[in-house]
Amino acid sequence: MTNHLSEEELILHYYGETPRAAAPRLAEHLASCGECEAANTRLHRVLTLVDSAPPVDARPGFERDVWARLEPQLDEGLVRRLVRRSAVREGGSATREGGWRTFFWAPQWALAGGVAALVVVAFMAGRISNGTDVVLPAPQRAAASPERVLHAAVGDHLDRTQMMLVELVNADTDQLDQLAGEQARASDLVAANRLMRQSAEQSGDGAIADILEDLERVLLEIANAPADVTSNELSDLKSRITTEDLLFRVRVIASEMRQRNRTDREAGDRPAQRLPVS
Amino acid sequence: MEERDPSVVARARDGDRDAFRALVDLHSRYIYSLAHRMTGNAQDAEDVVQEAWLKAHKQLARFEARADFRTWLHRITVNCSIDLIRSRRHREDAHDPADLEQGPLSERGADTQPTPERVAASVQISDRVQQALGLLTALERAAFTLRHVEGMSIEEVGEQLGMKTSATKHSIFRAVRKMRTALEPFVES
Ligand SMILES: [Zn+2]
Repeated sequence: MTNHLSEEELILHYYGETPRAAAPRLAEHLASCGECEAANTRLHRVLTLVDSAPPVDARPGFERDVWARLEPQLDEGLVRRLVRRSAVREGGSATREGGWRTFFWAPQWALAGGVAALVVVAFMAGRISNGTDVVLPAPQRAAASPERVLHAAVGDHLDRTQMMLVELVNADTDQLDQLAGEQARASDLVAANRLMRQSAEQSGDGAIADILEDLERVLLEIANAPADVTSNELSDLKSRITTEDLLFRVRVIASEMRQRNRTDREAGDRPAQRLPVS
Repeated sequence: MEERDPSVVARARDGDRDAFRALVDLHSRYIYSLAHRMTGNAQDAEDVVQEAWLKAHKQLARFEARADFRTWLHRITVNCSIDLIRSRRHREDAHDPADLEQGPLSERGADTQPTPERVAASVQISDRVQQALGLLTALERAAFTLRHVEGMSIEEVGEQLGMKTSATKHSIFRAVRKMRTALEPFVES
């Protein structure tokens, strides 16, 4: 018999993907040609063998390693979701989860609104907190919008505040002298914080104003803590920082600020992208 | 596989970290095998497992309570494998396919954990199958696996991998030919 079936035809046949027009000829040939029938059987056996091989198993303890690598990233995912939520909140009425309301501090600052005030804020934020100015990249400085100045300043400020809080939370409750250093930093941060909160309120940045307001209370509390603070009081302060999720929220807004700064810079020409997998 | 405890999924969906961890413990081994079959090496399989869990975590709210969790996770894992393979496609196009092979066979078998219940013969055959699969390029392997194991049509495989149907067909043909050459001695009496 001439014109035996090709391997390609047999493979398509195996997977049921023979073109409809070719199907009758193929079936007829297989029924009448021993050689092609044998080739077909061998192909079936090979492919069945592939199926019969047990799957490659992961090493012992794999699940534990997966979790160790995964868990920190879950928090980042949560941060992204919260950032989106706070962005939504900004657009509408700012509903506020209850919390540290007892230290509500009525703003007495009367800064004029607009760019001038925001530039002052950015300047103050840098100077007061760290002795360094907040510097926008030169080409962008001229075109910087009030929002961008605020975002840059707040992002910077939150990073510093976060560092301070982390140090405080991780401080050994027996080493009370560590608190003195944090107190000095806290009072510096309070001043910058107030200015920024005011600016955020004026520019309608509800989410930023919210977090800054909460921060202000904590910073004040740290700054005003008595010099003879007991280790119990310190651990009480630490636990409130943790249970109020304050650090977490600071991280959320700081990351949002970084994102906004990036978005500002990229000026809307960012291509839609898939999640990198590799 | 039927989810043994649907309440675990429900709790994980409500943000219970321990419940999510229980799911990770329960299903990671399964999706690792799946990812390994798709990608052909341990490192990529582990990366796919991570990515699949991240996606699952993010999309958990959209998971239908009545659906089977493992089936859902299976789909996510296949998609993550495809993403990884696609992201590397240009490399395979531009380089010798050998670049994408996974190194020496001795290394490749390293993550195959023999279990007591596996008899010697079947270990030998499974090694042989793994070796044969190791002869495939990443694209051949992915196309073959999607067609042969996942049961996608050749056209669907092409769509998933971003290839023309004819190119997909030829990837599968090459894959099967390599498998046949390597495994035929085992099936002839
Ligand atoms: Zn024939």
